[in-house]
This record gives sequence, structure tokens and C-alpha cells, in this order.
Amino acid sequence: MAEFTIDALGEACPIPLLKVQKKWPELQRGDVLVVNIDHSCALKNIPEWARKQGQNVEVEEVEDGVWDIYIEKID
Amino acid sequence: MSETTVIIKRRTQTPVKKKSQIGYTAAALVVIIAMGVYLAQVKTLLSIIWFLGIALGVILQKSRFCFTASLRDPILTGSTTLTRATLIAFAVAMVGFAALQFTTLLKGGPVTGNVSPVGLHTVIGAILFGIGMVISGGCASGTLMRMGEGFAMQWISITTFILGSVLGAIHFGWWTENFFRAAPKIYIPEVLGWAGGFWGQLAVLALLYVVATWYEYRNID
Repeated sequence: MAEFTIDALGEACPIPLLKVQKKWPELQRGDVLVVNIDHSCALKNIPEWARKQGQNVEVEEVEDGVWDIYIEKID
Repeated sequence: MSETTVIIKRRTQTPVKKKSQIGYTAAALVVIIAMGVYLAQVKTLLSIIWFLGIALGVILQKSRFCFTASLRDPILTGSTTLTRATLIAFAVAMVGFAALQFTTLLKGGPVTGNVSPVGLHTVIGAILFGIGMVISGGCASGTLMRMGEGFAMQWISITTFILGSVLGAIHFGWWTENFFRAAPKIYIPEVLGWAGGFWGQLAVLALLYVVATWYEYRNID
């Protein structure tokens, strides 16, 4: 039940998602990946990608225009 | 309770106070309406274009419509929602332009709109622009919209975008002389006829739409 964090602040659209995809194989079942983003485009494509894989996704706006995306590895 | 909810609970114990944006929204609304009223007095059409522009911007931001993502997401995320949205936009624009051009043709006028020479330079230019827009995080409309959202990096994108466009405009004569003049201008209704051009384009777009839908859902069932 480890927790990983990706700091993707200031990264434009595809980069946060690419970082998530690169990190993803390191996660075990039940682990949670927290992605910190401030590019609204990543707010769409990261949850979309994760939900398509059947993962559990939550989004939290932590500041004005800054979001945390929580992805729980289900399988 | 899942692991995610536990982590979120733990994290949000120290909430950051968010600024209220109602004041800004009200101010923006006043400016938009005042500008609309002013433009209407100059020329009604300007006012209509102004509000259409504002509406387009709002839709662009809220729908996350993005030409870059429409071509990139199928490969990155397997999602073709934006690809299909773009195809619908193309179909709508095509029908509109067909109506406009056919009307002017019936009146005996010249064809409205841009019919530009097509050739290898179109392909090379498209690839260069494609690479550039994925790296800079948006095409022209996407960059403008994200600038408005306050993503500072896009201000650099738009600056270099403008610089590049100016450079292109300066050298346009040279390109026309050496490449565009020799390239053929293809106007589809002239090649396939009006019925063939109109229904043919709609059929191609519909086919792409079907392929895009199949591509998105092929793994699920």
C-alpha cells in the first residue's frame, strides 16, 4: 500500500500523462499514485487513461488551478 | 473505504483557501456586454462576431476541445472522443461551406474561401506543425485558450508562434515562387462534381467516425 507522487507542475499537456505511464509499471496492486498538475488538459487525459484501464481515480483541486489526481492500482 | 479515500482524507486536513472568482466573472461580464453594445453601434455584424468569439472561447475551454489532442489521444490514451468531435466539426463546416460556395456559384460569382495549392510542402509543413504543437502543448486555439486559463508556459508558446508566423509571412513570397506556383490547386467539386464532392466528403468523414468509435471500444467487449 505504498504511495507515489509525481510532481508535474508547469508541465504542458502530454508530459504529465507520459510521466504517469512511465511510473505505472513500478506500482503494485493497491498502491496509489498522486499526480500534482496545473495544466487543465492533463485533468482530462490522465483520469481518462486510468479509468480506461479500470483503475480507481479521484481528483481534488488543492489550490486555484492546481489539482491532485489520485490513481489507485486495482489490477 | 478504499485506499484512495483514506489518502485524500489525510491530505485535505489542511485545506488551502481558494480565492473567490465571482468578482472577476462579474467584471468580465460587464466588459463583454459593454463591448458588445459599443460594437453594435459601430456595425451590427461586429457585435455578432464578438459574441460568437466569446461563445467559441467558452465552449473551447469547457469542452476541452483540442485539435492536438484529437490526433494525439488515440495513441496516448486510446480515447477518440476528441477525434470524433473534430470529425463532426469538419462535417458541419463542410456542409456550411458547400452551402456558401454553391450559392455564390448559382449567382455566377467566384468561389468563396481559400483554395490553396497542395503538394509535398503541405505534408512536410503538417508534420513540422504537428511536432511543434505536441511539444508546445497546443495548436493556435488551444494555446490561446490555455493562456486565458493562466498557464504561463503558453505565453512563451504564443510569443514564438507569432514570431514564427511573422517569419513565415516575410518569406512567403520566396516559397510561392519556388514551390506553390508549380503545385496544383485542387478544388474537389471540380474534380468529382458537386454531388460526388459533397456526399463523398461526408462519406469519408462518416467512415472515419465509425473507425474512431471502433478503435475506442475495441478492447472493452
